Amino acid sequence: MIFNASFHHAVLLGLAIAVSNTAHADHSELNPNATDIKPGDTVKVSTVPGTIYLRTQNDPDDLLWDRLPLYRIELMPAPPVHTSVILRMDPTATTPKHLYFQVARSDERFYMRLRWKDATENRATTVDQFRDGAAVQYALKGAETSFMMGTGPDNPVNIWYWRADRDDAESLAAGGFGSTTHLPEQTVSGASAYIREEIAQDSEWHVVMSRPLKVEGEHQVDLNRAAVPVIFALWQGADEQRDGDKRISQNWIMLDNSSGQ
Amino acid sequence: MAVKRQLSMVLDLNKCIGCQTCTAACKLMWTNRNGREFMYWNNVETQPGKGYPRDYQNMGGGFDENGGLRLGRQPSQEDYGIPWEYNYEEALMTGTDPWLRPNVKPTWGANWDEDEGLGEYPNSYYFYLPRLCNHCANPACLAACTRNAIYKRQEDGIVLVDQERCRGYRYCVNACPYKKIYFNEQISKSEKCIFCYPRIEKGLPTACAQQCVGRIRWIGYRDDEEGPIHLLVEKYKVALPLHPEWGTQPNVFYVPPLSPPKYGPDGQALDESRIPLEYLESLFGNRVGEVMATLQTERQAKAEGRDSELMDTLIGYKHAEMFKLS
Repeated sequence: MIFNASFHHAVLLGLAIAVSNTAHADHSELNPNATDIKPGDTVKVSTVPGTIYLRTQNDPDDLLWDRLPLYRIELMPAPPVHTSVILRMDPTATTPKHLYFQVARSDERFYMRLRWKDATENRATTVDQFRDGAAVQYALKGAETSFMMGTGPDNPVNIWYWRADRDDAESLAAGGFGSTTHLPEQTVSGASAYIREEIAQDSEWHVVMSRPLKVEGEHQVDLNRAAVPVIFALWQGADEQRDGDKRISQNWIMLDNSSGQ
Repeated sequence: MAVKRQLSMVLDLNKCIGCQTCTAACKLMWTNRNGREFMYWNNVETQPGKGYPRDYQNMGGGFDENGGLRLGRQPSQEDYGIPWEYNYEEALMTGTDPWLRPNVKPTWGANWDEDEGLGEYPNSYYFYLPRLCNHCANPACLAACTRNAIYKRQEDGIVLVDQERCRGYRYCVNACPYKKIYFNEQISKSEKCIFCYPRIEKGLPTACAQQCVGRIRWIGYRDDEEGPIHLLVEKYKVALPLHPEWGTQPNVFYVPPLSPPKYGPDGQALDESRIPLEYLESLFGNRVGEVMATLQTERQAKAEGRDSELMDTLIGYKHAEMFKLS
């Protein structure tokens, strides 16, 4: 691929501006390279040309990601549906949290890359330590499916869940609250990098999850559909977040598979 | 939570000698391996004391007056005590280390404050409190699980964690005020006392009860009027749940410990027990005094050569008769 030097320069400059403006609060981030996405919006899936070879399948900082469109979505606390979550909700968590995402496909694989700021790297799952986590949830059918864990067994969702303790992704399915199930066919893989900065609040997780486009097994999302409804979730381990105690993008974003760019 | 039948255990604290044979039996059977090393599904703690895990009685959990789940503190590894091993091979066999020492610096363990108790000589006091899952009628662990991974068996009321459903959220660990459900870090799932159900299903008592050298444990069904549980809990009403105010309705009951009289300043025996009644009431509720009176009356009857069905039961003359599992 011929590299566009001026474009690259602009990217670096943009990042520099972004960093200088994000020291204090997440919501004040300026990132001219990111397109703000709202629930209900449509996002094009980028195409990775067959000529590009990824040395590492899920390299969270592959150069590739510098060249693909970057989207930003606001995450808010998920509406709680169980007493155990209500008891742990932080009523002061009213500021949106930004999640940056990129989505791409090659001839054979489908990739999701996530980036978010996190002052703490929580990689342990112990009796009293909780791990950081991120998830991408896909509706197996259309956007009429509830974005909150699907609508019963007939309208389920497929979830790619990256967990910091194992630094890998799980493929899960759910059809309503409390029904999350670890699928017998584990088709998704993932990897991460925690980019530590001088100012802890600027530290970032970079996570890539991917899956072959063609997979066997029930409840694995069909990524060849023209439109795929998707939402995102984050868990902050330092706040003992797990389960429904999480931040989500509230309602589906539509992935547009129709043509690459 | 209504079940068809409820298995239950009664423990007579007057007979417990703190030998930990129950603890060892349970550990050998269930928790000496595979990430469970720090767990004691059955433990014997000295009371008054911090208990196991450390200070669990002040960690919260259980239910409030309105029946709502109470948020608790998540116990740390240090609250349980980090298990240690000794360098037997190096110190005793190869001689490569001159000292026999643990591989971690022990700072807390399940029985750390053994025999400390409270009070000044000659009025110092303590007793042993064996603890296991209470297989509650209203289990807080079950209420706290967002995944319905915890269930209560219809046939015997045993509370179990469905290991297929559990995703290791640890709400149950937090919610159980007795802290009798544990997080296994090796498999990222929670585990607990299973009331030795594979033994129960063969008509055998739990390992802790079978091995108890003091014969302090009775097992039977709550509704079995011919069984020992009914006699101790319902007929003579001498067995009480631990911390009934936590709202979980335990199915493990304790016969509270009698104690010798307290000494006055001149060495005279006072008309109050060495273990303060208020203290026992803080553990077993406000019926303790009444239970003590019954125990003393029945004991006196026996001493005077009269019959006492209660004392004949409590002595546990035939171990096999302490278990009625059908």
